[in-house]
This record gives sequence, structure tokens and C-alpha cells, in this order.
Amino acid sequence: MITDRVKRELERLVGTANASFLKEDLICYSYDATNSPHLPDAVVFPATAQEVSGILRLANAESFPVIPRGAGSGFTGGSLPVDGGVVVSTERMKAIISIDTENLTAVVEPGVVTWDFQQEVERQGLFYPPDPSSLKFSTIGGNIAECAGGPRAVKYGVTRDYVLGLEVVLPTGEIVQTGVVTAKGVVGYDLTRLLVGSEGTLGIVTKAVLRLIPLPEHSVTLQAVFPALRDAAAAVSCIIKAKIIPSTLEMVDSVSTRCVEEYVNIGLPRQGSFLLIEADGARDAVVSDIERIKRICLDNGATGVAEAADKKAVKDLWKARRSISAALLRIKPDKLNEDVVVPRSKMVELITGIEDIAAARGLLIACFGHAGDGNVHVNIMHDKRNPLEAASAHAAVTDVFALTLKLGGTISGEHGVGVTKAPYLAMELSQPLIDTMKAIKKTLDPNGILNPGKIFMRQDGYESIKRP
Amino acid sequence: MNPLRDLKDEINKCVRCGTCRSICPTFRVVNREAASARGKLALIDAYMKGGIPLSETYLKHIKECTLCGACRDSCPNGVDTLGIITAARADAVEKQGMPYAASLVLKTLLDPGRLMPMALKFASRIQGLLLKDSTVEMGLLSRFSLPMLGNGRLLPPLARQFFLDMPQIKALYERSVARPSAAQAPKQIRVAFYAGCGINYLMPDIGVKTIDVLKKAGVELVVPSGQICCGMPAFSMGDVPTARSMALKNLEAFEAAGFDYITTSCATCGHALKHLFRDLLGDDPALKSRVETFCAKVRDITELLVNELGAVAKSPPGPPFFKVGETSPLAPFGPPRPAPLGAGTPKVEETKSPLGALFSKGGESTPPLWRQEFPPDAVPPDAHALSFSKDAESGAVKKKVVTYHDPCHLNRAQGIRKEPRLLIESAVGVVFKEMKFPCGCCGLGGGLSTTNYYMSINITKRKIDSIKASGADIVATACPGCMVQLRDGLHKYGVDVKVVHVVELL
Repeated sequence: MITDRVKRELERLVGTANASFLKEDLICYSYDATNSPHLPDAVVFPATAQEVSGILRLANAESFPVIPRGAGSGFTGGSLPVDGGVVVSTERMKAIISIDTENLTAVVEPGVVTWDFQQEVERQGLFYPPDPSSLKFSTIGGNIAECAGGPRAVKYGVTRDYVLGLEVVLPTGEIVQTGVVTAKGVVGYDLTRLLVGSEGTLGIVTKAVLRLIPLPEHSVTLQAVFPALRDAAAAVSCIIKAKIIPSTLEMVDSVSTRCVEEYVNIGLPRQGSFLLIEADGARDAVVSDIERIKRICLDNGATGVAEAADKKAVKDLWKARRSISAALLRIKPDKLNEDVVVPRSKMVELITGIEDIAAARGLLIACFGHAGDGNVHVNIMHDKRNPLEAASAHAAVTDVFALTLKLGGTISGEHGVGVTKAPYLAMELSQPLIDTMKAIKKTLDPNGILNPGKIFMRQDGYESIKRP
Repeated sequence: MNPLRDLKDEINKCVRCGTCRSICPTFRVVNREAASARGKLALIDAYMKGGIPLSETYLKHIKECTLCGACRDSCPNGVDTLGIITAARADAVEKQGMPYAASLVLKTLLDPGRLMPMALKFASRIQGLLLKDSTVEMGLLSRFSLPMLGNGRLLPPLARQFFLDMPQIKALYERSVARPSAAQAPKQIRVAFYAGCGINYLMPDIGVKTIDVLKKAGVELVVPSGQICCGMPAFSMGDVPTARSMALKNLEAFEAAGFDYITTSCATCGHALKHLFRDLLGDDPALKSRVETFCAKVRDITELLVNELGAVAKSPPGPPFFKVGETSPLAPFGPPRPAPLGAGTPKVEETKSPLGALFSKGGESTPPLWRQEFPPDAVPPDAHALSFSKDAESGAVKKKVVTYHDPCHLNRAQGIRKEPRLLIESAVGVVFKEMKFPCGCCGLGGGLSTTNYYMSINITKRKIDSIKASGADIVATACPGCMVQLRDGLHKYGVDVKVVHVVELL
């Protein structure tokens, strides 16, 4: 709970129109895509780094949690006010400050929607590749906090690879500039890289200097249908082995395909899995890559391989791909959505292993994702009103994580740890490493006011936090 | 109609993924969560669970929605956001009643015969006091900031004579147009015209033009005299009982007149007649089959012209749709209509139906006529209502560039997109140019223009930007409501583009 004095002070800092304590408004900032709400005590909409700094200084003085929030579209609860406190929404900080076509950089505020930014840079012949499925509504600030990936990561990397520098308000209220606006820079520790993916626990980003690259000349989108998911996974491994790096190499299993087809109605196969493959670059190179990819797909048992005929077909395929996560809930009311990554050569083993887990636990597990970089979204479908089924679903998560780690992988490729994966952190990280991370957190945020309850398990028990 | 309490499962289907943030027009304006469907559903959920009362803030948020339906269309989980939001509004009205002014307006619209004369007398007295004439085409400007009307807002004036009171329309009342006996053959298709408030009270010219086009299409026309407001405004505001009474009155008026089709030139009325009537009256076993018969026969005017009247003739291309030299592009459709609707497959005759030639689905080798360019000099100067500037040097008529705004109630609610475009492309002396985001909401709907004019007109601004960027001389649409809002927006943002209904181009 925050006191009336704190409320007045918050209003003074951001203006009365940009601070709310009404329950109706708080409800609207209590959730993210995990759909497990926690009510904050206030929501504020600062416009500048100075305002954010004022809020954080106040939080240290008055001991209340501060929770940064972009679009609230995260899958692990990174923006949930699990301890109450003040939600700092970046919804008013949505300016694209500059796009530098000479140095191929851009400066943006954190509330800019990723898609809007991409449209703007593409108009100038430039390209900002990171493309999480939520790109049409998620924000650059949120993408930075979670180090968002996306289908293009297979060729272009993730958000971290495009952040050159940050203006960030530290948990204690200091405004600092990290990194550079140049192509290189090694002066001091690389705090930019530390902050990207820190899930809003080490600072609040108020500006970002982003790296841009030239927009590829040509791209082709291909759809390949396979009778079995493991055949598709084998094709993925073969494509990589053939030293072809497509810009996208997405895999969708039969359950996901069926579900999303019900939503988009674009004539996806009702039976079988499919790969969504995109190649981009110079026209000749793209054409030859696509021919080789087609060959590999057919050799691995693809029953149909087709290029998207026009822009609309491409748009439809992507709409389908990006809608899978939510559309899956058409088959079961609840799901546990994990985003494990394994070395690409282990894709077939991972898929086969998950099929075994699903059979052993008597569950439906839908798999789709960025097969090209070994990142699979494992959706364990269940109905939490059925306690037995819910328990096996949770047990299956542990199975999947254990399998992933055995194969040399990681338990989260792009969603982050947040609250939902915190209980599993120790499965992957050694105790000395966790202690080192906690020490960094403690140094930067001595009072523990910034986004508490995330990443690390606490003594007071985040086992109790409801999973989505 | 599902009351709010029956929608718990539907509300729970929302997983808060946030997709609705990317398409919601109100969200785009304020960039606050409560404006998105996800926020509204969270509020409604909390209200139903007793977490919040029926508070001012709650009501404000559930009213801040144009009911455009973009969130429902884009929801990966298929949540019926519109159904939930309208049910929440109905629930609020059930508990709190309607605001006095709105309720007075709705009462008048429910019983216009008795109450309209009084309302008009009152309105004409105060109109000059509150509103001043604008130099802009067809508009009045409010002198002061008025509740529900706003300041500096361009409002359409009331028509001097209402559409349904015009002598030539009275001649089409069911009393004047005898129902042909079943034995009579060949029978013409009997089309009952539904005017709606926008056309009846504000834009009768569009109604007259529609009647004109339909007459030339050779259908038998009837205008049921007992028709009243479609009920959509009442429904949007949450006054379901009034909406239901309106639906029933209309149903009875049309049944008395008889029809093969019901048509309207208003996207919103069309949506109400097609879908809302079934929702409002379908629960009553005594009305179910009647209302279903009614709803199945409703066609938007663009849909009727293109799909029904054109589809009758599947013959090879006839003469051009718009025969050069004729005063109206919609020439008489030739021989009498084939068999009436529902009498089995109509026998396809070698009719000269131009629409048949235009829109038949066969794979003709020649380009469809509506794609063909008309020689500029072949357009008679009086081809239609719009004036054309002559190119000074060549003397050729310069074609007007027309863009099209998709009304939400036509596009999303009725799935009609290609028909109006086909009609525009086939019109004489114009070239069609698609604007960016033609499906974006104009900002008027869902009562938003009266509950939050700031939000409403800022939604319009995006539309106006699109229209401006398209470089069009004319923006055509198929909904009088959208027309009112677009005119206001164009005036407000100083963009000189004419707003017309698609039928006015024919």
C-alpha cells in the first residue's frame, strides 16, 4: 500500500492526469499475457527520464515497488506487480526521436510499438529485424527488457544484437547513458548487454540507440507440409547442415496448424505439420537458396512445397504463425507455454522426447516455433479446473526442461524468467552463478524496489504465484 | 440476446494477449489500456465478480468504444468482444436507466408519427440559437460547446422535408403499390426500401437517388410507411427494450408491405436489419421464423445491385453497363425479371443485363467492362450529379479520383467489401483509388461521438489523413453515419474532399 503523501507526490511528479489510483484503472494494469493478475497501488505515465527518476527516488525513500510496463504482452509475468506498488507505464513515451540514415542508427523512446518503428525505418530502406510474434503491439522497451527474439533470429539475431546504447534510469534514480552511438565501443563494462534482457529489474530504459541494417532487396516465402513433425525437424537440421541460413525457419506442428487454421481460414493443411521458410537478400542468392531448400524438404518427406504467390499470401501465413499461441486455447482452456532452445542438431531428439513426455503424461502438447535456431514453443495444454490434469501439466514442464538441459539447451530462449520460470532457475544455473546475479541486483538496487519478485526465487515463496 | 451474466465463459476466453491493442481505434488515440478490448473485458470481469461497482469510471470506459468490431475480428481466441461490451452497456442501463436526453430522443424515434412533430417544433426554435450556418457544404456549426454536440462541430441540418414525407415516396407506400397476385407472371422482384434515420431525417437525397437507381433497375418498389428507426442507436447505448420495440415495429411494417428483398443504403441499418433483429427478436418462439425470414432477405444496396440484380443474368457480356449517352448509368435492365425469388433456379435468359456482364464469375477472356477505360470525350456532361472540370487545353473531361471508406457495419459486420468498389469502378468519369487503411473506423459509432467527441474526432483524424494522402477528390462510402463524421472531420482538419454515398455516383 502507498500513502496519500506518496500519491500526492506522484501526481506532482507526472501531473494529475498521468497518475491514477482508481481501482478501475489499476485493474487495467494488473495483468499481462500470463493472465494472472496482481493489482498495483498506482499506475503512472511519465513522459521523461527525469520523471522516471523522480518516481524511483521516491520509491527508495518511501519503500514501494516500481514495476516498469510496456504493452503488457509478456509470457512470464515480467510486468506483473506481484507485490503491488507503482506500475510505470511507458505508454506516453512513444516517440521515434531520430533515424540516422548515414550511420544506420535510430534513437527511440521505450513506448514505441516495434511494428510502427519497423514500418518507419523500412520506408527509408532500412531494416530493424527483431520480430517477436507480438510485434504489432509490444514495445521496444519491453523487447529490450526481455531481449525479445522472433523468427528472424535464425539469420539476424535477437534484440540484444541491435541495441548499441541506452539511456536508463537506475533503480536508485540516477540517469545514465550506457554504450555508444558508434558501431563499436569497449570502454568499461558492457552494461548495455547486461541491461538488455534484465526484465526490468536493473533499470528503466527511457531511450534506446538501435542499430539498423539495409533492407534486403528480395525475399521469398515458402511453405512446406510434412506428414510428421519429426520429418519437418529433420528437414530443418538438413537445411542448416547444408550451410543455408534462411531469414526464417519456422516449424508448426499439426495441432497448432489445425487450431490456427480455424482462426485464419487460409487453407493450411488440416493434417500434418508445416515449415514456414523465408529467404532474403540479393535476388539471385535468394532464388538459388530457395531451390535448394525445396529439394531438401522433398528429400525429407515433404508432401507439398509451395511459394507464397503474393504479398497477401505472405501476410496470411505470418498472421497464422503469429496467432498460434493465443489460438491454441481453442482446444483447451489453459496452457503452460515454454520456449526451450536446444542446439539445432538436437531438434529431432527434442521433438521425439516431447512426444514421449506427452504420451507418458497423457497430455496434448503443441509444439511450434523458431526451429531454425533450435527454439521450440512447447505448449502443454490442460484444463486447470481439473487438478489431476493440471498437476501432470506442471510435471510435464519439469520433464521438458530436464530433457532440454540434457540436450545442452536452455529453458528460455526469449520469454525470460519472470515469475513463471523462477522456480526452475536452479535447474539451469549453478548456485554460484545465481549468487553472482543476485549480487549485481543488490548493488544496483540496494532497496530491492525495482520489479521485485522476478527471476529469482525468494524466501517468502513465489511457489505460490499462480502460473498461467 | 445474451445478458451479461450468461457471458462469463466468453469473458474468460480472453487471455490478455494484447492483440487488440494493435487495431483498436480508441486505443490508438489515448494509448491507455482501458481503451483496448482487453482492458474493457478485465473491467467487466471485475464488475461481474463484485470487485468494482457500477462506477462512473467503469461506465466511462465501457462507453468509450465505437463498436467497430476490429478487436473481435483480430482476436486469435475468437472472443466476442462486441457482444460482451454491448451486454455490459445493456446491464448498466437495466440498473441505472437511460440518460434523460437520450431517452427522449429514442422515444421520439420509436413513435415518430406522434412525437416527431413536437420534437421538430422544438428543434427548429433552438436550431438557430445554438447552431450557425456553415459555408461548408451541408453543415451547421455549433456556436457553443454543447453537451453531446461539442464545440465547432459540423452537424448535418435536418432535411426540409423528410424522405418518408416526400410525395414521390408516399406514392410508394404499401397502400399505393398493390401486391401482385401469385398468378401474375412474369413477376418483377419486389424490393422494400428501408430508409433509416440518416436518410429520412438528414440526407433524403441519398434515398431519392437509391429509389431512382432501383426503379431504373426494373424492380418493383415499395416503401413501407410504418418503418421507424432500426434500433441500433438504442442498442448501442444499452437500451435493449427500446431497440426490441423498434425491431418489432419494423418487422410488422415490412411484413405488411411484402417483399422479395429488403434493401437499405445505410450500412448500420443493414447490419441491424440483418443481424440485430434476429438477436433481439429471435428468442421469442412466436417471432423466430418470421424474423429469420425477414433477416435472410435483407441486402445492402450495393450488395443488391451487384449480387442479386446482376447475378440474375449469367449471359455473355451484353452492352456496356453504362451505355454512353444515357442519362443514368443504371439503364433499365431489359426484359422482365425471371422467376421470383424462392421459385427454384431462375431460368437464365439471354437478357441484356449489364450487371450480369459485369459481375458474372466466369473466366471471360476479355477484360470485364468495369475495368475498361471510357474514352474521355464520350462522357455526356450530364452523366451524373457530379460536376467535372474540363481540361482547358484538350477540352476532355478530367476524371475525378474517388476513394472508398469501408463502413465498419458494412465491411466487418456484413462482409461487404468488393461490391461498393465494383460500383465505383463502373461509374462514369471517375477513377477509383484505394486509400490506406480503408477499413479503419471513422470514429462515429457506438455512441462515441456523443460520449467522447475528443476521442471520436481524433479517430476520424487518422481517416482524414488517409483520405488526404490518397489524393482523392471524392470519398465515397455507403453509410450516412460515416458521411456525417467524415464531413465533420474533413471540415475540422481543413481537407477539401467531397463526401458522397456510392449510389450518388451511379
